[in-house]
Amino acid sequence: MSFLVTAAHELKAPLALIRQLALSLETDLGAQGERERMLRQIVLVSERSLRLTTDLSRTSRLDDSLFELEPLNPQQICEEVAHELEPLYKAKGREIRASSRYRPILAVANRDLLRRILLNFGDNALHYAEGNTPVELRAATFENGKKIRLGVRDYGPAVPVDVWKRLKTSLGTETQVLHARPQSSGLGLYVAGQFAGAMNGEIGATRHRDGATFYVDVMASRQLSLL
Amino acid sequence: MTKAPFVLIVEDDEWVAEQLARTLNGVGIRTEHAPHALAAIDMIDALPPAAIVLDVLLAGPNAFTLLHELKSHSDLADLPVILCTASADQLVQEDLSAYGVRQVLDKATMMPDDLVVAVRKVLP
Repeated sequence: MSFLVTAAHELKAPLALIRQLALSLETDLGAQGERERMLRQIVLVSERSLRLTTDLSRTSRLDDSLFELEPLNPQQICEEVAHELEPLYKAKGREIRASSRYRPILAVANRDLLRRILLNFGDNALHYAEGNTPVELRAATFENGKKIRLGVRDYGPAVPVDVWKRLKTSLGTETQVLHARPQSSGLGLYVAGQFAGAMNGEIGATRHRDGATFYVDVMASRQLSLL
Repeated sequence: MTKAPFVLIVEDDEWVAEQLARTLNGVGIRTEHAPHALAAIDMIDALPPAAIVLDVLLAGPNAFTLLHELKSHSDLADLPVILCTASADQLVQEDLSAYGVRQVLDKATMMPDDLVVAVRKVLP
């Protein structure tokens, strides 16, 4: 039941904003530019909410489904996610970008689930990031090339240590009240954790003095090493 | 920052803040925006607002940190605060009165005019 309450709360905030914007548009003739901006906000907030509903329905089917894992280019996934989130970031005066890599790498993962994890992290970072520093998506190998980490780095106020400890304890395994982080309930992180688990991967987070990196670890493909 | 009386909107969602400001500015009430409690404290230190419209769940310290801070300063303890939150159903107005909270508005059900009426009621 608490999961339902959390999910309901997550959807309540964007729906409340959409309603307020619609009410204003209904009664206020305003300047054309302002009306267009409000309409654009309605579209972008709706899209973000729909992403959450799609994630939630997919989460409920994870146990019944086998997700095909395939070799894929994590750099390309980072670029696709940055491209998909760019309109939302731009509308909020922020920037998101994928860091480029010199050496190609291949991950073994489900494309759709991996994208959705990074979209969640990207949504998360948008709410939290401050200033003009771009949010960065990055892919890198670790454990001698056996694993690949795809991370989303944001820049904002440091998360208090006690809050961070709670986050690390239950990251991706349960929803949590997390006032110092966006989405406040951690539902997006829970969804990301479930998706990562379906790919035999896991999510994690690194606390920085000036923000945080949320990441997902998946297995690296050996195909490139065989060439 | 403006020197004329203004309402400080403390809200971590910038589009919600923009919408609240749009509503208040539309009836001639000046506003400033703080994206989190720490920024709000700095802004209040620099120039106290006539009233505060405050979200509860904020990035970083939440609304109650700010309310405690206000109560600890005699010159700010009576600053009128209107909570504007999606969690209104979980708050008890009587418990909040001691913090200077004059009204709780539910983001999910309020009409734009409700905000205007609430703010006008507390403005000097």
